[in-house]
Amino acid sequence: MLRLFLTRIAAAIPTLFAVVTLAFFVMRLAPGGPFDSERGLDPEILKNVQHAYGLDLPLYKQYGLYLWSLLHGDLGPSLHWRDFSVNDIFSVALPISMQIGAEALVFALLCGVPLGMAAAIRPYSWTLWLARIVTLCGIAVPAFVVAPLLQVAFGLDLHWLPVAGWEDGDWRHQILPVFTLALPQIAVILRLTQAAMRDVLSAPFIRTLRAFGLPASHIYVHAFRAACLPVLSYLGPAAAGLLTGTVVVETIFAIPSLGRYFVDGALGRDYTIVMGTVVVVALFIIVFNLFVDLAYGLVDPRVRHD
Amino acid sequence: MIEAAINETAARKGRLSITVSLAILILVGLACLLGPWLTPHSYDRVYRDYVLVGPSLVAHPSAEELDTSLAVLTRRIHADTSSYERHGGSLHLTLTSAKPIDPRVLRFFDHSDLFGPAQIIPGETNESTLAFDLPIRQTYFFFGTDANGRDLLTRTLIAGRISLAVGLLASLVALLIGVAWGATAGYLGGRIDTLMMRIVEVVYALPFIFLVILLVVIFGRNFILIFVAIGAVEWLDMARIVRGQTLSIKRRDYVAAAEALGATSSAILWRHIIPNAAGPITAYLTVLVPRVILLESFVSFLGLGVQEPLTSWGILIADGARNIQAPIHLLIFPALFLGLTLAALNQLGENWRDRTGAGGA
Repeated sequence: MLRLFLTRIAAAIPTLFAVVTLAFFVMRLAPGGPFDSERGLDPEILKNVQHAYGLDLPLYKQYGLYLWSLLHGDLGPSLHWRDFSVNDIFSVALPISMQIGAEALVFALLCGVPLGMAAAIRPYSWTLWLARIVTLCGIAVPAFVVAPLLQVAFGLDLHWLPVAGWEDGDWRHQILPVFTLALPQIAVILRLTQAAMRDVLSAPFIRTLRAFGLPASHIYVHAFRAACLPVLSYLGPAAAGLLTGTVVVETIFAIPSLGRYFVDGALGRDYTIVMGTVVVVALFIIVFNLFVDLAYGLVDPRVRHD
Repeated sequence: MIEAAINETAARKGRLSITVSLAILILVGLACLLGPWLTPHSYDRVYRDYVLVGPSLVAHPSAEELDTSLAVLTRRIHADTSSYERHGGSLHLTLTSAKPIDPRVLRFFDHSDLFGPAQIIPGETNESTLAFDLPIRQTYFFFGTDANGRDLLTRTLIAGRISLAVGLLASLVALLIGVAWGATAGYLGGRIDTLMMRIVEVVYALPFIFLVILLVVIFGRNFILIFVAIGAVEWLDMARIVRGQTLSIKRRDYVAAAEALGATSSAILWRHIIPNAAGPITAYLTVLVPRVILLESFVSFLGLGVQEPLTSWGILIADGARNIQAPIHLLIFPALFLGLTLAALNQLGENWRDRTGAGGA
């Protein structure tokens, strides 16, 4: 276990380094700068501002300085949100993103796994049709279609839920974003569970258990354990998908969170915010994948790594 | 017996769903390819008098639209309508005013989207009355119009062209990079293989969407760039699949025979390995194309796609979503097209994979 942990961390370092380097140079190669405005700054003032942020140094020096401060956990000052450092902004925005993402993941698992199992256990009943409809919706109706439809239905017509906004995480403001974010993941998880469960139920060890006369509930517990492996290994990509989804969901529901800052930052050439987001997201995906691998070893003894 | 029967039904169901999805795809594809030429509107033509008209099969203008438009126009030229009769496709209109009427005010009618060029009737016209025939221009907006008064049907079809083109071209880019990379790594093996797959692993952990957004934001909303950027991040799975295939194919006897006959590496790759890996490659393509289309509309939705007046499904959906107070047809029609395409492609891919038994996520 420890060895896996260490090798994965060792492998993560070049990845992170590549991410930082790529994002840094792509961002700097872009035409335009963070202080462009319609009227344009006075050249003298522009020089001073750039000097203050160290943007007048040669590129390799800026890169070195950025890496150095990154090693100290400092993401630098935001170029657009004056008087805020990227760390300040993220300390507010990141928990919101993570909260929505975690809730959506849990919701997707709670819906997808039981539905998938039900559809596999009783393949010729209404559950199969329900599963089919959910899968099709998840595939064919992207989040940016679902979200406005939900807003119209529950926000404008029925007045049950607020249309948008966050209000410090009031639960009513969380329902629609979390549901929107979870829907595509429900579809995938459902399909994975269904397929895995179907395979497992026809496996020899289940037949043996049946032959022993075990009650159905016991058999399903055994089958479940084997069937949740593909779901578990999908959690890594799922987390990445949720992070992507948040960009759209946060835009539509006007949630002051990571994705929104990223898009605005990229449009406004806010170098440090963009770099910060990319680094944080990459780090998050790496860590999450590591956890998934560790959990995999716990559930499936065949792939235990020690 | 029973199993054979079940297999038979399953196969029939599979064939049915393949036929249906293929039909949908062909219909959508043909509509997007040819449709914009067949519709009576251009995708960037603005009808100022028909802003946010709802979808209908009946020709515009309706009676109310005619009345309001006439009221507005006569008020604008400071005259009163003393009489107006409708004869089939044209109006017979008489305007009166206290002051003399300049016949040039008829320009107002010409500029309207509702009417054709006006014809003055000399006999009934004098200083303060103006009589003329006004042909009504019949227009159809089957899908309604958008907030700028552009025909949504034409725009949806044009958008489909862009979305499908990006989907196919980006998949092609991914295909080329992925196959070349995977086949080379798998065939050469050894250190080069390790190194190349290591690079794939590193790139795999990059936050893709963020990179695509970054690329598109930074290098402008260029049509070519969008699909190159998307293709450049979607080749990794393809490379892995092709490498796996190559590893198994290169141990076959016919490859050994080709080697013994002195065929060069590139000849073996092109002649033997890539054609034999075609099955799984196609299977994965059916997954890739919808994914790319979705990614493109996602990027477009954020306002980073192709530029107005060109459009794509993502942009149209974003328009519909942005003013949710506006009529819902702005959102429904593009979403319907996108949804149908995605569903059909997915169904097709699934069936293909079932039939060929090829894996692929």
